[in-house]
Amino acid sequence: VVLVAATAGVAACGGNKPPVTTPATPDPFPRPADPAPPVRPPEPPPRPVESPTPPPIPTNTPITADPLAAMSPDDINRTATLKPVFFVYDSDQLDDAARQALNDNAQTLKKYAAWVITVEGHCDERGSAEYNLALGDRRALAARNYLVSLGIAAERVKTVSYGKEFPFDPGHDEPAWAKNRRAQLMVTSKQP
Amino acid sequence: VLVACLAAGATTLVMSAPPPDPRPAGAALAARQDIRIELNGPGGRQLRFGLPDIVVAPGDLELKSAAATIADVLWNDLDFEEEFYMIRREASASVPVTAVIADLPVTRWAELGADYVVVGSAQRSGTKLTVEIRLVGVRGDAARKIVNGEGVAYNCVVTSPRACAHAISDSLHKLHGIDGVAQTRLAFVSDRGGELVAGALSRGSKEIYISDYDGANQQAVTANRRLNISPSWSPDGNLLAYVSYGPDGPDVYVKSVYEAKQAWRPAVGGLPNYFPAFSPDGTKIAFASSRDSAGLYQLFVVDRDGKTPPRRITNSRSADYVPTWSPDGTKIAFASDRTGQGTPRIYVTSADGVGLEVLPCTSKCDRPSWSPTGEMIAFTCGTGQPGYDICTINLRTREVATLTDGTGVNEQPFFAPNGRHIVFSTTRYGKSQIAIIDIKGKLQRRITEVGNNSFPSWSHARR
Repeated sequence: VVLVAATAGVAACGGNKPPVTTPATPDPFPRPADPAPPVRPPEPPPRPVESPTPPPIPTNTPITADPLAAMSPDDINRTATLKPVFFVYDSDQLDDAARQALNDNAQTLKKYAAWVITVEGHCDERGSAEYNLALGDRRALAARNYLVSLGIAAERVKTVSYGKEFPFDPGHDEPAWAKNRRAQLMVTSKQP
Repeated sequence: VLVACLAAGATTLVMSAPPPDPRPAGAALAARQDIRIELNGPGGRQLRFGLPDIVVAPGDLELKSAAATIADVLWNDLDFEEEFYMIRREASASVPVTAVIADLPVTRWAELGADYVVVGSAQRSGTKLTVEIRLVGVRGDAARKIVNGEGVAYNCVVTSPRACAHAISDSLHKLHGIDGVAQTRLAFVSDRGGELVAGALSRGSKEIYISDYDGANQQAVTANRRLNISPSWSPDGNLLAYVSYGPDGPDVYVKSVYEAKQAWRPAVGGLPNYFPAFSPDGTKIAFASSRDSAGLYQLFVVDRDGKTPPRRITNSRSADYVPTWSPDGTKIAFASDRTGQGTPRIYVTSADGVGLEVLPCTSKCDRPSWSPTGEMIAFTCGTGQPGYDICTINLRTREVATLTDGTGVNEQPFFAPNGRHIVFSTTRYGKSQIAIIDIKGKLQRRITEVGNNSFPSWSHARR
């Protein structure tokens, strides 16, 4: 029963595509049913955000016309351009939704070849803190290995496990847990 | 009564050496020959103590305040250990207070159920505070007899009444053969200074904190705004080993708790490194590392200074993690998911990694902590979803006991240095907090209030 619920929660989450035209910082895990507005850092000035299927860039357009290319790692992460990857309870296996998110992320990483990322493995609060540190490591590695299989250079992808230390949603129910069982791809630096 | 007690095998004790600090003062008061003390209730039942206000000369508000704190903290210290039954101070508030033993209203105290009264008086000279404690009998032949020599005087500081009370408590427990823990300290992890905003992609921070055993005097030991977890005290209480998420990944750091010295990293030769545990003699640190195979934690042992390369002591295909040493330093227990089904078990191997024994486990068994007496291991036991509870296993009888009742997620048990209590983390109050139960499972103290707190560890050293 738990696994069914967990799978359903992930499927629901994975089905939520990040907003593509919101000028402000998009919430990577939108929860329409939640009446409380999500707490966010101060909003940066409105920026155009990359569309998931960008129109072909004319070859004579200078690269500086792409706002993402000029952004700092922190600003890139705030756009949630790299999609989170979700897992079912106590698993490090990549399901179809997870592989699709990583396929999209691989395309983005090929386009922005300067980005160096860290894949963070996270877990829900079930399971001991210590067990979850190991599980988070395996989740991050699963995502990293898949990215490498798609042609992303291994040295561009570091991993770290945060176990259940930094839940995205501090709630104690399946909707919260589903958001917390994740590998999160963070841009940590840019190669020259 | 005394004769009956002796026949029943009552503990007979000789007054111990003076407690290290604060020290008994005053030759007359401290002049104690080997006085044998019988301390047992009628029929071997728990002794009942009364603890009236500590007598001070009128007019000195600071002294009066310090004396009041000492009485309250001492009551809590004695109540915590559960060796003596403590009559509530509210219940005895109307009993006349006196430092003159001849005037002690023993009949009133007997009516309240007391066997002994802790009679205290305090004087000050500058910041020096001298507290004289006499443990006085109430009933029968013992009435108005002082059982701790002629009384003991403690050299204290008027601005540190809690430390004074803790020293008195430990020496009163020593009369009954108990190594009190009132002067010991806890370490734990807290995000109170950098709690993660819900829904934020940025990382919060968690720092290592220490406190007195009762949660007083909480203070940060690290301040690096990173994730710091899994503190482990050195046996002398001067060092903490912990995991800090540095720029190149999680690594074991060792830091002086009370001196401003540079932390060092003993687990040389690879990352990431987790779950340091000082050996009982303080010379070595066991830890888990996936340095040899990404994602696969194995156990290593390194000398405390990291001068020689770590030695790998397990070799398995599943994660081996959270080592805990037996008190004699010959064995290490750890958690491992060797069934490969997300159901970790507790395993025991020698400190060299020779031999392997799995402990009985009905569900998930995780995060072991070896008792200081050696006979028990406490662990996190899976009891449901999302429930975790605190369990113990008796290594001789193999009997498993569940100490918490599924209220919240309860995990990360760690034994008190005398083995009579267990500190753990729990979500029963909402956020994760540190609390203490006795080894029967009775909740004794909530230690933390602010932020999320986890990874408790209990020092064996008195300060």
